[in-house]
Amino acid sequence: MVEALLQPLNIFLLGLGGGFLIPLLYRIGKPLPAIAFVVALGGMAVIAAVNFSNLLNGQPTIEVLTAGVTPPLSINLRFGLWEGFFVVSVSIAAILGAWQLWPRLRDSYGALLLYLILIMGINGMVMTRDLFNLFVFLEIVSIATYGLLSLDRTPAALAASFKYIMATVLASSFFLLGSALLYHATGTLNIDQLIAQRDAISGPIATTALLLVLACLIIELKPFPANGWGLDVYETAPCGIAALVSVAVSAGVFFALFKLLPLFENQLWLIAISGGATFLFSNLVGLKQTNAQRMLGYSSIAQMGLLTLALALLSKQGATASLPLVVGGLFVNHLFAKAGLFWLAGAVGQRDIDGWSAISGRPTGLLVFAMLLVAIAGLPPFPGFWAKWELVMQLSGAELYIWISVVLVGSLFEAAYMFGWFKQATRALPGQAAAVLGFSQMLPPIACAVLLCIAGVIAARLSEAAALWLFAPLLTGGVLYALDWLPGRVKCLLMMLSVLGVGAWLIGEVQGINRLFALLLLSGGLVVASAALYRTDARPGYFPLMAVMLLSIAALTRSSTNLQFFFCWELITLSSYFMIAQGQNARPHALPFLLFSLVSAFCLLAGFALADAANGTPLLQAFRTGGADASAAFVLLAIGFLIKAGAIGFHVWLPGAYAEADDDLSAMLSSVVSKVAIFGLFVVTYLAIRSEAGLELAHLMAWTGMLTTVAGAAMAFRQDDVKRLLAYSSMSQLGYIITAIALMSHLGWVTALYLVANHLMVKGILFLAVAGIIWRCGTRRLDELGGLGRLMPVTFVTVAIALVSMSGLPPLAGFGGKWLLLSAMADKGWYGLIAMGVLATFIGLLYMFRLGHTLFFGAARKAAIGEAPAQLLLPQLVLVAAIFVLSFFPKLLMDPVSAAIDPYFASTLVWEGMSLETIYGYWNPVPVMTATAIAAGALFLVSWTVYRIGGGRAAVHGIAQFYAYYTARTRPLAIPVATKFWDGVAAAVVASGAAVRRVYTGNGQSYAMYILYYVVALYLAAA
Amino acid sequence: MGLPISTILLTTGFLLMLIGIWGILRHRNLLRIIIGFGLLDTGIHIVMVATGYIAGGTAPIIDKALGIDEATTRAVDPIPSALVVTAIVIGFSVTAVMLAYAIRIHDAHKTLSIDVLTESKW
Repeated sequence: MVEALLQPLNIFLLGLGGGFLIPLLYRIGKPLPAIAFVVALGGMAVIAAVNFSNLLNGQPTIEVLTAGVTPPLSINLRFGLWEGFFVVSVSIAAILGAWQLWPRLRDSYGALLLYLILIMGINGMVMTRDLFNLFVFLEIVSIATYGLLSLDRTPAALAASFKYIMATVLASSFFLLGSALLYHATGTLNIDQLIAQRDAISGPIATTALLLVLACLIIELKPFPANGWGLDVYETAPCGIAALVSVAVSAGVFFALFKLLPLFENQLWLIAISGGATFLFSNLVGLKQTNAQRMLGYSSIAQMGLLTLALALLSKQGATASLPLVVGGLFVNHLFAKAGLFWLAGAVGQRDIDGWSAISGRPTGLLVFAMLLVAIAGLPPFPGFWAKWELVMQLSGAELYIWISVVLVGSLFEAAYMFGWFKQATRALPGQAAAVLGFSQMLPPIACAVLLCIAGVIAARLSEAAALWLFAPLLTGGVLYALDWLPGRVKCLLMMLSVLGVGAWLIGEVQGINRLFALLLLSGGLVVASAALYRTDARPGYFPLMAVMLLSIAALTRSSTNLQFFFCWELITLSSYFMIAQGQNARPHALPFLLFSLVSAFCLLAGFALADAANGTPLLQAFRTGGADASAAFVLLAIGFLIKAGAIGFHVWLPGAYAEADDDLSAMLSSVVSKVAIFGLFVVTYLAIRSEAGLELAHLMAWTGMLTTVAGAAMAFRQDDVKRLLAYSSMSQLGYIITAIALMSHLGWVTALYLVANHLMVKGILFLAVAGIIWRCGTRRLDELGGLGRLMPVTFVTVAIALVSMSGLPPLAGFGGKWLLLSAMADKGWYGLIAMGVLATFIGLLYMFRLGHTLFFGAARKAAIGEAPAQLLLPQLVLVAAIFVLSFFPKLLMDPVSAAIDPYFASTLVWEGMSLETIYGYWNPVPVMTATAIAAGALFLVSWTVYRIGGGRAAVHGIAQFYAYYTARTRPLAIPVATKFWDGVAAAVVASGAAVRRVYTGNGQSYAMYILYYVVALYLAAA
Repeated sequence: MGLPISTILLTTGFLLMLIGIWGILRHRNLLRIIIGFGLLDTGIHIVMVATGYIAGGTAPIIDKALGIDEATTRAVDPIPSALVVTAIVIGFSVTAVMLAYAIRIHDAHKTLSIDVLTESKW
């Protein structure tokens, strides 16, 4: 009995029966249609869910026969794993959608009927195995959609709906004609039979028939540029209906293509090209969009293009084993994320993205919004991330590099406009009424976010990456977020405790260099994070994000595969982005930070994909030993890490993000987070050793590093904003580290780690000290600060120590680092780099002296109230202590470093096995340092002389006059080349998007024409 | 003898389809466009019927006049006819929906010209 009730065919009985019953019940009594609707929709979902779970438990595929005859004489339906997956997903979306649309559905029995029929039709499209039956279900879905679209009677909505009808009727006409001709040619309409006799489908009529069927399905998926009709509907329809069209109707059409794909084995390239062009161009045009729903429309169309592309390419490569993860993952990701966003748009009720600042004060709304955006952008932990990773790995394995770039570039565009939208939502506008987000309207998007999390874990398991430790950062963040109502300081303490506990567990078994980094970054991170105690405000969401970031860094060092590494990497990026975005004036800088981080991440993704192919294994360990020349992989990976480290040319994101983030967060970013990129370089640089070309590339990397150092120092020299000065200084110091890594020698790497430790402490102190100064003086402009030496003596001492250590003056740690670096370069014979290094040291001395001098000597300009809060001073003192340890007991760090590097380093490289004393003993530091000091002194003498005899001195007193003079003198050199370049690139991309979207004239007949052209082009290309 | 009936039907059908498409693209008036769709539909229906026709065939009813052995060679294929009936019903309802929209659009825009339906673009 129960079994009979759960027969999949009952889905149609419920859909059609409910549909016919509803008008009748309407005559009888008011609540009855609604009750019948709920029963029918719920029943359909239950049947689908039960059957799907039976299949998952190993029961065989359900073949549904009708009319008491076997196919092909009768129509048959199938409910297998794929069908079940699609039907269940659509059913869940349908229930949530009905909830969202309930105020509209409740009062109109016609709408209830149409909704039911629509869902039933989609299920039919998924399950049927008969070509003509598929046409019938397609038409049922279309007509129900037309009906539902008329719920909104604004002129624009009516106009858009009419264009939609024109386009879809044209498309289905092709399907009808195609299936009739196919029957004529083959004598069957049964899909399984057609697939079985695929080879017999030849000749002009049969080929044309096939192409007509294909054309219909592609058109229904809204390919670029024949998709203006779809966009108009997404823009003007009620959010709930647009969501259904975007995810449910598309799901039905996509599944039709999926099941008919064996028929189109000769057209797979065409299908992939259509999908790729749609993905790329829709996202490009989306950049210019300001209407929220139309933007979602572009994204919807793009996502369907990506799905099509993935399906076609994987089928082409025969990689059917990856289909569940890639196609299933992308599908479910799009389904819930896009529907959730449409529903959220309905709840917020702002059509233009400018108006979304209305939710800036709504933490729940923002959280859900952020989660859905992260999912759409294909970032962890959501299924789209795992799917995209697998897709790129497969494409790389098949050497389809162009396709990888299409996927990555399109994804970048999509992230750009999606997070541009988020930027609007985080901006609080004075005087704007906050959006009222009712619980019932928020329930569907919240449910989507939850479902996406669950789906993410399932996708991770499919990727064989689901491990507790990998998700530990997110879980900890989740728990802390649940406690986010506590006072700020309590949250900070909780965060530190949990990071300490979970972090210690995470890095427990980490070995070698990774262990050093783990210990250094985690303990450094905790010390710097403790500074957050100086603020008493609640900082909603800040501490959970901080925990996620610090623990992700710990997990990063534990990663043993490319995928784990990339997962943690993306989590670090995302958590730091969301924290930066909370800064008061950080809004304009957070987006460039994210976009450059994503470019960096996509370079890494592509690089890992190539390395995966070259190494023959996804293990990170293989980077040290793998076989083939992997120069291309090295270049991509190195670029990825260099972008993230703010190397010259890519540094434009850095000053804004560092300067405008919260003051204590700046310290964290500069001291700890920036080292993550350095860690990445350590991991992959082994690739370069494998070939001669790789070593040349390393030389190039060294120059990049040194130029970054010089440019960073020069820009720091010209800064009046203390935090910007420190940001550029951070960029400059990272340049040294990059150069040291690029030395590719034992000594170079020891140096790099030494510099990493030194910079971590120094920048932690400086940024925290500046945080204290800003806290007390309320400004961060150098020309408004001064004379703080007496008022803030402790800060003065810590800053002085940090500056001495950073500038490389003896006796502190920086001296050792710089000496090691110069020695190692001399050993390599890189004299050009040494000269640059001396120049950088000189400029570095200048700006550091200026910083210390201006802040603590000279005339007091702003009255400071007193010493910085103890919560800020304590971490600084801890770091000072660490500097002393590092300076006077270098062996404590150097010995483990040396030991960690040794076992892995290729035998061709020098200094293997040599202890640190030997290295120190081998070289005499005196000549090198003396020469450097003399050179720097000479440079200073020259510049001082030029200043004395030169004219045009500024009217400020004392030492500031010297700086003002050179700031003015160097102005012509200070053209922001990189900023202008990237601004130009961005403007050009957006402008091309604006040009492309001119094809969407809004005219229904033009759209019909595009469709015909598209079909003709498809036919010509295939024939 | 002349042309076989199926050829005439096929030609007519395809011609009607072309006229329908021409109408859809050429005319600005929504009602004329809808008529274009009607012609396109009808053309497809005629083509479908024509594909099932067998010259000199008879109705596909197996009885004394038509033995089982001859069924495949002498009887007209009933499937396309069955499909056409369904397709006609669907075409009818689609036309009805389009006409309903035309009425509403006329109410909202006070015109039946498709040129005004360009509120949303780009």
